[in-house]
Amino acid sequence: MRAYIIRRVLTLIPILIGISLSIFLIMQLIPGDVVSGMLGIEANPELRANLEKKLGLDRPLHEQYLSWIGKAIKGDFGKSFRTDKEIFPEILNRFKITFQLTIMAAVISWLIAIPLGIISALKRNTIVDAIVRFIALLGVSVPNFAFATLSILFLSKVFKYYPPVGYVGLFADPAKNLKIMILPAIILGAIMSGSIMRMTRSSLLEVMRQDFIKTIRAKGASEKLVLFVHALKNALIPIITLVGMQIGSLLGGTVVTEQIFSIPGLGQMVLTGINQRDFPVVQGSILFIAFVYVVINIIVDILYTYIDPRITFKTGR
Amino acid sequence: MKKRMILVLSVVLALSIFLSACGDSKQPQDEVSQPAGSEQDVSQEADKPQVAQVLKYGTDAEPGGLDPHTISAAASIRIFKQIYNTLIDVDDDMNYIPELAKSWEQPDDTTYIFYLREGVKFHNGREMVADDVKYSFERVLDPDTAAIGKSYYDKIETMEVLDDYTIKFVLKEPFAPFMGNLTSLYGAIVPKEFIEEHENLMVEACGTGPFKLEEWIPDNRVVLVRNENYFEEGQPKLDSIEYYVMTDESARLAALRTGNVHLIKLPAASLPLVEGNPDINVLPFQTNDYSYLGFNMTLDKFKDVRVRQAMSYALDRQEIIDTVYDGEASISGFVTPAMGRWAIDYAGKDLYKQNIEKAKQLLADAGYPNGFETSIAVGLFDDIRNIGEVIQKQLEAIGVKAEIQNLETGQYIDAWSNKGHEMMVGRNGAGTDPNRSVAFFFSTTGSANVWGYSNSKVDELCELGMVTVDEKERESVYKEAQELVLEDSPNLFMASHMDYFFARKEMKNFTPSTFNSEDFSRVIIE
Repeated sequence: MRAYIIRRVLTLIPILIGISLSIFLIMQLIPGDVVSGMLGIEANPELRANLEKKLGLDRPLHEQYLSWIGKAIKGDFGKSFRTDKEIFPEILNRFKITFQLTIMAAVISWLIAIPLGIISALKRNTIVDAIVRFIALLGVSVPNFAFATLSILFLSKVFKYYPPVGYVGLFADPAKNLKIMILPAIILGAIMSGSIMRMTRSSLLEVMRQDFIKTIRAKGASEKLVLFVHALKNALIPIITLVGMQIGSLLGGTVVTEQIFSIPGLGQMVLTGINQRDFPVVQGSILFIAFVYVVINIIVDILYTYIDPRITFKTGR
Repeated sequence: MKKRMILVLSVVLALSIFLSACGDSKQPQDEVSQPAGSEQDVSQEADKPQVAQVLKYGTDAEPGGLDPHTISAAASIRIFKQIYNTLIDVDDDMNYIPELAKSWEQPDDTTYIFYLREGVKFHNGREMVADDVKYSFERVLDPDTAAIGKSYYDKIETMEVLDDYTIKFVLKEPFAPFMGNLTSLYGAIVPKEFIEEHENLMVEACGTGPFKLEEWIPDNRVVLVRNENYFEEGQPKLDSIEYYVMTDESARLAALRTGNVHLIKLPAASLPLVEGNPDINVLPFQTNDYSYLGFNMTLDKFKDVRVRQAMSYALDRQEIIDTVYDGEASISGFVTPAMGRWAIDYAGKDLYKQNIEKAKQLLADAGYPNGFETSIAVGLFDDIRNIGEVIQKQLEAIGVKAEIQNLETGQYIDAWSNKGHEMMVGRNGAGTDPNRSVAFFFSTTGSANVWGYSNSKVDELCELGMVTVDEKERESVYKEAQELVLEDSPNLFMASHMDYFFARKEMKNFTPSTFNSEDFSRVIIE
């Protein structure tokens, strides 16, 4: 067991090296660079040379990579080309914001999707079912930026409402924070709920058709008991898988919503970094996201053995 | 699988709790909703209604650093323009006006003496003196600073501090654009000890301007507060300006409609959206920009002047203005109408009159009787893209089939600087001196001449314009140069557009103009 853990942790090293190398190379490959971006129309060879020297971009590529990764290992992601600010503390700040948004959106999506999905399954092929399925289809097919933009326009024109400007942290001012976060969370949640609703419906219908449900009914269990205890429990498995996947993608994928609502999350940071060709910022934040994923996976794999006794890891083959 | 997901969730949760715990110390002192100046409110309460004198401005982009010497991004300039001053400024008639210098004289062609205002304080409380002026230009000229405006001032040979309030510049040779260049923030006056303490001016700021930097929270807001010691008596009126980054246009408009912000900037296309809204004033002002179609003149087909002229005859510039700018723009050359006396009359030129027959004839003469296929690179600005599309349509009439290439900003700049395009639509600022408008873009060695254009006569005139100090003479030199460039058509010039501020009616005394579009020194909130 211990050997397994050590082996898994050791695999972290090549994985992270691979990720860091790809990020670094991709940033080199995309057209445009920070120097052109900063100088814009003013660029001339002398200015370019001065700025490259100042930013350390005049060194050979492998040297740039090694010095970056050498510090990154120690949690020093360097400083932003643009603002000269330390990157790592900023990443942590931003990640908290994105994480809060993700969790709020996920909870909202469950509140919408699971009850509606159940109703839809129970009232299969009725008008109620048709309406719910239509809404779900909207959720799946409307892109979240369109939904976000439309709701902003609608709320501001009809109800004269727009969330307060200027993000504040959850602990600094909870009321203002929630006022700012709730609208984007509802929008993300509503979009997410489309697929969860569909999954709930189909999964529940499938379970309801299975033999063990018949058996339970034959034993005289009430319809409520059949539905909420036996059927739903079994139907939840694929739903939870889906929810997990959605949360995973949201952690790195609330970029558009963050931008529309001016929420300074990790997505916004990556985007601003890309737009400004601020390589250290982009490299640092993507490496961080990747690191979180990989580490979570390893921890889960290790914990798995404790939860499910049927799984054991043997050293060697 | 279910257990696995629950595990993932709990690990994520645990991690986040850990992160919030360890990140909390970093949490900036958010939301002290009345930053500074609140004592001021108390004293003014007697004669003023109790409205917080805070201007909330919804901006379109995050600033990329605040060092006036090394940053040229509009999102940054907007902010540090409130913080720093230059020696002199320029008014809308292109006359030089005092700023930190109260007067100046020019004993000969290469010597300039500036007499500084006395008693001007930096935001750190120290008085600004001639040594600071000297230091500021030394910093700009030091290659290690990588200052953007180095070439603006590198004709300076010596700077001599005559006394605390007098400084003498001696240039290596006569350099007529010198005064114009001094109006640029690339020559902002900064305090030495502040830079030494903070290493640079990227996130900290200390100038002499009407507002001081209070805080900058990335991708969120920048807060400036009133400089109590500002040298213009009784200015500014506002206690603070809060800039909120709102990249999305509809979000900016919504925030304005609901009164969450007082001021935003939007393109002409948004005008109908606020028509008839009694809460919102639209404040238009003429920009100093012009849009252009540039040719990559290293390609054979664009080497031939007849091809470029044919394209000029194929265009209907008024249609471009009507379609793209809703009619709210002026036909322009590369010296814009806003530059007044320096500009020739472009709209009246033959090359600006659509003439399809002549265009076809020219193309045929050049060996392309059936036109050719090419492409137009456009960047992310809506107006630039739309101009590209209108041009694409108009060129079809003479058989030129152009494909539109939508480029992301980085790619666009890359294409621009490395000739990675056939044709390209863009927008340039004409500057405050014709040397900028002409030599910078169209002399053979001009660093923004990315087209491969070269005309020795134009080069000669640019040289002459640099050393001709007599204004009248200088004017005719640049006018002649404009005629030559127009005839050669290395770029085709389209229009100089209007920009629009959308302001809440509560915001008073704000009059944007071409060379001073964001002067908030008299603004009040009612």
